[in-house]
Amino acid sequence: MFTKKKLIVFAIVCAIFAAGEYWIFSTIQASFEKNAAKEITALARAIAASAPENNESLASWTEQLPSTYHGYRFFAFKGVPGEEGSEPAGGDSALSELWKLPSNADIAAKAAESVSYLEVFRWPSRVTFAGVPYTLIIAPVPDAEGSSARAALLIAADASGYVAFGRLVQTLAVVTFVLFALGFGIATFSRDPISGYAILVLAAVVVAFVAYPLFEAVRLTLIKQGRFSFDVWKTILSNRQYLQALWGSIQLGIVTATISTFIGFMYAFAVARTSMKGKKLVTALATMPVISPPFSLTLSIILLFGKNGIITKQWLGLQNFNIYGLGGLALVQTISMFPIAFLTMQGVLQAIDSTLEDASLDLNASRWHTFSHVTLPLAAPGLLSSWLLVFTNSLADFANPLLLSGSYRVLSVESYIEVTGMSRLNNGAALSLLLLLPTLTAFLVQRRWVSRKSFVVVTGKPSTRLSDLAAPGARRALTGFVVVVSGLIVALYLTIVAGCFVKNWGIDYTFTLVNIHEALTRGKQALISTITLAGIATPIAGVLSMVAAVILVRKKFPGKRILESLIMTPFAIPGTLVGISFILAFNKPPLLLVGTGAILVINYVIRELPVGLEGGVAALRQIDPSIEEAAADLGADQATIFRTIILPLIRPAFISSMSYTFVRSMTAVSAIIFLISARWYHITIQIYNFSENLRFGLASVLATTLIIIVLAVFGLMRLLIRQSEFLEKTVTAQ
Amino acid sequence: MATKSVPVTLSHVTKIFKDPTSKAEVHAVEDANFDVRSGELVTLLGPSGCGKTTTLRMIGGFELPTKGKILIGDTDVTYLPPNGRQTATVFQSYGLFPHMDVFDNVAYGLKIRKLSHTEIENRVRTVLELVGLAELAHRAPGRLSGGQQQRVALARSLVVEPQVLLLDEPLSNLDALLREQMRVEIRRIQKSLGITAIYVTHDRIEAMSLSDRVIVMRNGVIQQIGTPGDIYERPVSMFVAGFVGKVAFFPAQLEGIEAGGRAICTVGGKRVRAGSAAEGLGTGSPAVIMARPESLRLVEKEDAISSGTVTARVYLGSSVEIYVKTETGEILVQIDDPSGKAIPSEGEAVWIGLNEALVRVLPAE
Repeated sequence: MFTKKKLIVFAIVCAIFAAGEYWIFSTIQASFEKNAAKEITALARAIAASAPENNESLASWTEQLPSTYHGYRFFAFKGVPGEEGSEPAGGDSALSELWKLPSNADIAAKAAESVSYLEVFRWPSRVTFAGVPYTLIIAPVPDAEGSSARAALLIAADASGYVAFGRLVQTLAVVTFVLFALGFGIATFSRDPISGYAILVLAAVVVAFVAYPLFEAVRLTLIKQGRFSFDVWKTILSNRQYLQALWGSIQLGIVTATISTFIGFMYAFAVARTSMKGKKLVTALATMPVISPPFSLTLSIILLFGKNGIITKQWLGLQNFNIYGLGGLALVQTISMFPIAFLTMQGVLQAIDSTLEDASLDLNASRWHTFSHVTLPLAAPGLLSSWLLVFTNSLADFANPLLLSGSYRVLSVESYIEVTGMSRLNNGAALSLLLLLPTLTAFLVQRRWVSRKSFVVVTGKPSTRLSDLAAPGARRALTGFVVVVSGLIVALYLTIVAGCFVKNWGIDYTFTLVNIHEALTRGKQALISTITLAGIATPIAGVLSMVAAVILVRKKFPGKRILESLIMTPFAIPGTLVGISFILAFNKPPLLLVGTGAILVINYVIRELPVGLEGGVAALRQIDPSIEEAAADLGADQATIFRTIILPLIRPAFISSMSYTFVRSMTAVSAIIFLISARWYHITIQIYNFSENLRFGLASVLATTLIIIVLAVFGLMRLLIRQSEFLEKTVTAQ
Repeated sequence: MATKSVPVTLSHVTKIFKDPTSKAEVHAVEDANFDVRSGELVTLLGPSGCGKTTTLRMIGGFELPTKGKILIGDTDVTYLPPNGRQTATVFQSYGLFPHMDVFDNVAYGLKIRKLSHTEIENRVRTVLELVGLAELAHRAPGRLSGGQQQRVALARSLVVEPQVLLLDEPLSNLDALLREQMRVEIRRIQKSLGITAIYVTHDRIEAMSLSDRVIVMRNGVIQQIGTPGDIYERPVSMFVAGFVGKVAFFPAQLEGIEAGGRAICTVGGKRVRAGSAAEGLGTGSPAVIMARPESLRLVEKEDAISSGTVTARVYLGSSVEIYVKTETGEILVQIDDPSGKAIPSEGEAVWIGLNEALVRVLPAE
């Protein structure tokens, strides 16, 4: 809290720090300047010494100089300038103009004096021509005896590098001071400095790695040749090819969302409202596509239905069947995304109190009437919300269209081609921003309409009874449908596994183990670096998301809403946009990160933070705040409370947040495809490369490896969470 | 367990909350001034939403006062965080650590203080014996009964030897019988340790039976501070009189106050010498006579100040309660030692008179 004494101490310490910092940074800058001056003086002396012996050829020599020394301008004088007998010899005329300026008279006189004493003279301040700062030097050209100057050479050296360096040093100094003042201020004035620091760190992370890159991306689309302009957007919105991509994305989204919601609802109904057998197996199979690595389903669709597909070519003998395009994409996306609709709808159906349906049946309504007049209307908002969820996912999808779009255009792939193929970063950024438009619309519809219209009757606990809401015939049909779809999923995964052991898919189906050896040898480096970086990102994202959850749930501070939305932002925006904004922001100082492993780690952390945060928030809301208050009351500070109370209590959320981060980092594509480098490669990109080169066997091996890793991680997670299940019960029982 | 007990002082403590949606200011506590002497148990009593828990949370450091100062002993603790002050709170929901057993729960505060293993062991054993839980040291809190959980919470607060013990409606989650038992227990432990304690409750019987002094609050404002006897027999307002016990009010005119403190007034056309009057009550200002059930009697018509018909009678052994419906509402009359007396039955018309020495004149609200 603010007291006079504390304020005075704070002001004094800040002043001392500022003074010390000023001394350090000005020393650094001064010594840098001094070295630079020494270097340039030596260079000037050397150039002047190499002047032709004959003053007559001075002019032509001077004019040749800039071709040897880039970033320099030269002008030569015969004799000592300003003295009698001196005349301009030639060179860059802009320099001689400068020499004549009346404001330069004093310095010019000093310069002339130095030259006559055979000294190199450097102008005390920098001079600017056409917006570029220059260091100005005049060097004498000594005569044969070396006793006097027979000519003088005026040199202007491009100093923009030094100026930029100076600016960087100053920025650094200011940033250091602000950080120090904030940190010290929190320590002095806050009752809970640890939370203060945590907020500061989180804010710094999201400003640097969420807000700043997005700002850079938006800025780039609004700038042309250094000036504000809508040109980029005009190009984007008038070009048929781009509009086609926009329409393509929306079309694909609508088709995928509609079919997925239908299948998802069938599944959810079968699981939540009928007495179908094997529900656990069906649910487990349906979640597979959600967690399985990208390209794997696409890969198996190509293996089955592609040009050399086992179904299309071997069994049906079709010659011109083309899976690439809208149809194939919708198929793959539906299989990978209907589980989202299924899980959403399952939650919705479980939340609807089934006594309402019982009441309807009890009032002699038929099953169908009950379904169409009670269940369906109650589930309608949930249906729309899962449709929107699949729609946004389909739009953001990058991996499937990358392999399977063929000549069909979608925005995410289009922006990738713009950036990597055409090097038109601004168009790429604009296209990926365009992708935000439908996503944001969907989000707003969800917020404004669905949440308000929600009929979900919350009774506290899901009802345990289950009267079968489907007539035996309908149930059999439903079960048949679920079995067919589940069978398709199994078939797709088996195809990938089969792909590992086949010599040359489509041509030679002999059994072989060569693929495995080759794929693992060639993919080893990528696999190691992927695991390493995901392994580094996992604990960081896990701890950070739990800290963020504690702060957002338990603490009050100004700007909380902004911090929360910034943390959640990467969840809502497509990976392509994240990737593009990252290369824009981090390929230059002050944060030059492109090409390092760090940029990948940061990207994983930033993108998985929202999921962990949600989990942490949900877990924390289950915990009575007085448990933490009791710990504080007994003398524990915030860090101790976090370590000894919160973390053990939200362990399940913590573990699942970490496993999701690890799995999603291992299976990332859309953002990291922009950020990988030769040193830090990613296994999914390797799968893509193999597939692009039609080495489907190798791709299958890597995809299978990834699937095994993912399943192993989730298995481990299950095991760890089960151990702490007793906790969940006691926490809520309090 | 030697606790150095200290006084607690609140001066001009005000807490204003901002409603996050309407931005309206809510005055949870308004200019609270009181002190708790060392070793004393003081209760904050009032209906829910009166600011008693907020006051306690400010003393514990969980809320910051908007204005004012809080002293524990001589130290200004107003802005210290909970972990920086020597208070220990027993929470309404106990706040036991579900992932630790009883022993570890109690030992938590000692571990934070980095005491030696043997000392922790000894102190935890001692305090668990004090609350009668020595055998359950290694049970998980989820497997304890409500009363046992309550004892763990109390032990966990006592073991760190706080200067002040804060209890936030600690008995509200227990059933009636257990509540009575724990009440006695808490008072016994508090007395034997001589620790300063502040107790929050909305249960007047709890407040009366536990406390050295009671602070009655309403809408964030302290109404009265006094011993249980003070607030029961000599309330300052109709609100306090009504909140701490059953009471009937009769509109009255104050005529004057005698030298001995007895107040002369007219009520229901009769002249009454009431036992006392609230301070600052002037003659002629609107007043009421407050009468507890035990200071009402059934009388003959000519001595009555009110009349009505009996709606119910409840036989309690040592007394009988008669509910009488009058023009001004239902009145409860208590007849002590009923054997041999004529008890009116339901529907009978009765006349009510006063035991004048026991009634009090209060300003009308």
